[in-house]
Amino acid sequence: MKKLHLDPSKPPVFDGISLRIAQGETCGLCGPGASGKSLLLKIICGLIRPEAGTVAVAGQDLGAASPSELRSIQSQIGYLFQNNALFDSMTVQENVAFPLRQRVRLGQEALDEPQILDRVSESLRGVGLATHAAKMPSQLSGGQRKRVALARAVVTRPPLLIYDEPTAGLDPVTTAKIYDLLRAEQKLTKSTTLIVSSDIDALRRFADRMLMVYRGTLCYDGPSADMDDSASPVVRQFVRGELEGPL
Amino acid sequence: MKSDQRKNSWVASLRSQARQLSQIAMLVCVGALRARRPKGELLRQLYQVGNRSLLFVLVTLGFTGMVLVFQSCLQLSRVTGDLSQVGGEFIKYLVHEFGPSLTAMMLATRVGAGIAAEIGSMVVTEQVDALRMCGVEPVEYLLVPRFLATLMMTLLLAVFGVLSAVMMGAFTAHQTFHVPYSVFLDLSKVRLTDVLTGCVKALSYGAAIPIVSGFCGLSTHGGSEGVGWATTRAVVSSSFAVIVLDFLISALALLSWQSM
Amino acid sequence: MTRALLALGMVVLSICREVGGMALLGFYTFVNLIQGRLDGKELVRNLYKMGVVSVPIVSLTALFTGGTMVIQSGIFVQRFQAYGLLGWGTGYAVLREVGPILIGLMFSGRVGANNAADLGSMVVTEQVDGLRALAIEPIPYLIVPRVLAMMLSMFCLLVLGDAVAIGGGMLFGKLLLGVDYASFYASFVDSIKLWDVTVGLLKGTFFALMIALTSCHYGLSVKGGAVGVGQSVNDAVVAAALLIMVSDDIWTMVLR
Repeated sequence: MKKLHLDPSKPPVFDGISLRIAQGETCGLCGPGASGKSLLLKIICGLIRPEAGTVAVAGQDLGAASPSELRSIQSQIGYLFQNNALFDSMTVQENVAFPLRQRVRLGQEALDEPQILDRVSESLRGVGLATHAAKMPSQLSGGQRKRVALARAVVTRPPLLIYDEPTAGLDPVTTAKIYDLLRAEQKLTKSTTLIVSSDIDALRRFADRMLMVYRGTLCYDGPSADMDDSASPVVRQFVRGELEGPL
Repeated sequence: MKSDQRKNSWVASLRSQARQLSQIAMLVCVGALRARRPKGELLRQLYQVGNRSLLFVLVTLGFTGMVLVFQSCLQLSRVTGDLSQVGGEFIKYLVHEFGPSLTAMMLATRVGAGIAAEIGSMVVTEQVDALRMCGVEPVEYLLVPRFLATLMMTLLLAVFGVLSAVMMGAFTAHQTFHVPYSVFLDLSKVRLTDVLTGCVKALSYGAAIPIVSGFCGLSTHGGSEGVGWATTRAVVSSSFAVIVLDFLISALALLSWQSM
Repeated sequence: MTRALLALGMVVLSICREVGGMALLGFYTFVNLIQGRLDGKELVRNLYKMGVVSVPIVSLTALFTGGTMVIQSGIFVQRFQAYGLLGWGTGYAVLREVGPILIGLMFSGRVGANNAADLGSMVVTEQVDGLRALAIEPIPYLIVPRVLAMMLSMFCLLVLGDAVAIGGGMLFGKLLLGVDYASFYASFVDSIKLWDVTVGLLKGTFFALMIALTSCHYGLSVKGGAVGVGQSVNDAVVAAALLIMVSDDIWTMVLR
């Protein structure tokens, strides 16, 4: 059983957030701009340490972990960064192979070179970019880069997947394609998934559970379907996109 | 009261920066001693630091050699008129002072800025976070090859810089003051201690530049403006580190020779 | 063979492009300056940002430079027991060569790089186009005040730096070599002429012009986001260092 518990209270951004995500759940995280969604994700995977409180992934407390333990926990999280964060000195293939090679180096997985390349091309086929393996990230379009980043995040089949704005700045067709890929990935691996997006409708169609952060607190935590009828006026206004309201 | 608070926060930020810098230095040194690292990366960095700075160092040191010889010949011909000693003294100074220090000043701008710009833009595009998420320690992965490359290349480039300065100096002395090459190129003044001082200087600069500018690059925040700031800080801090180290090592060398 | 020639040609062409761009920028700046078209408020702001803020780093650099120069001449002075020459040696080296060059390099790192980064991020975030859209000419508003401010603040910083370096030389001469202040001062005053000071200051101000032109040129020609900004800051400091070293040589030959 893999559980995630966090309670960061980092003033002024967060003030006592307590949250538990069970294994296999798909969670959507939303909130108005600059409410600290990306920050929350980075706290969850230990890139930023909260000033107070604890974060635990798979039962391991990130605050108490040594640097090398932290790295080994982090290598079990697939993270799709907001700006893709592809290594621009490497080809697409090397980018996707990088996390696998690191896992082999850390002794978490025993793969030889042909097996790694198999996994990479399988992952690239999954996102429909098998023919682009030898290109550099700078030669790809925005949507293609996002898909490469997605392939890199899922290539290790991590038990926890975190997507930060997987569809920001993409056209509707590419957005639909990306969500299709995310859904396929979720079905295949049954991994816990946490998505941040400002595209709230698509997010609600994808996620079973919705979270909303506003002014440093968690103002909604419940099933996606019930968000319209939330007791909080902030949540209702945000979901319906109304101009009038407390936001 | 208010200025007191500001002073306190300034001291605190200085202290935390010093702690981070020493942490990075430790990690780099430990990482450099460990054998486990990709070989291609070190070669790439050696090329980046060494080959791509060679012309820059040759040109700047060559011109400096010309200026120094010109000035000392000019002054000496006014005072004594005996120019036979200029070459020997010039080469001695070049070996233990100007060669390594000026090469390092040049590398602080060329390589220091390069390291900070590269790592800084990796920080703002979240590539450094992506490295962490792949279970890689960014300091070790990014800085260790650059550290080793700069360490080796500063020494090598200082040798080339000295050669270039000596050649241009000899040329100047010959053309302007008619000092024969055979008289100018007098190595008898250079003692082992001079060579040792020069090597120690070059190695310490070579260690300081990548650590200081790597620290500046890794502490980048904010978008393109942040990268610009980090690059600026790297140039200033690593040049300043060179100047301070130069002073310290020169003073140590002077004092230890006096006692010998 | 053809490829080597091609590469050489590319290098020469790119050098011509950069030098030409800088010369053109210098020309426009000069024309606008003569016509008196510059933004006074920007000038004052830049004087503060470039001059006042650089005082600590320039003073520290000068202090250590003075110290190093004393140590270097100290070896010579001790060998020949020529303690009376220390003031002259340190003063001459600092005022004419080492002072302008080292302070110039630090100024290039502190102010030039910062200026390139500043202009570069303005270009990247389309602020320069924004100025054009508001019918504000970028050169009188952005470039002329910066060039002028850099030259003025370099002149003042050099005066300060020279004084600190000589003071540092006296201090370290006493501490490390035991040369007392009076004999250092006497040897300095006797042998240093006003001409030496003037040459150093002229040189330094010219270096500042070089730094200003390189940093403005590379700052304005930034392409492509954060990576581009870092790259052009790097190019700007390298070009400035090259120009400082080369023009120093020319100045030394011309002004004996």
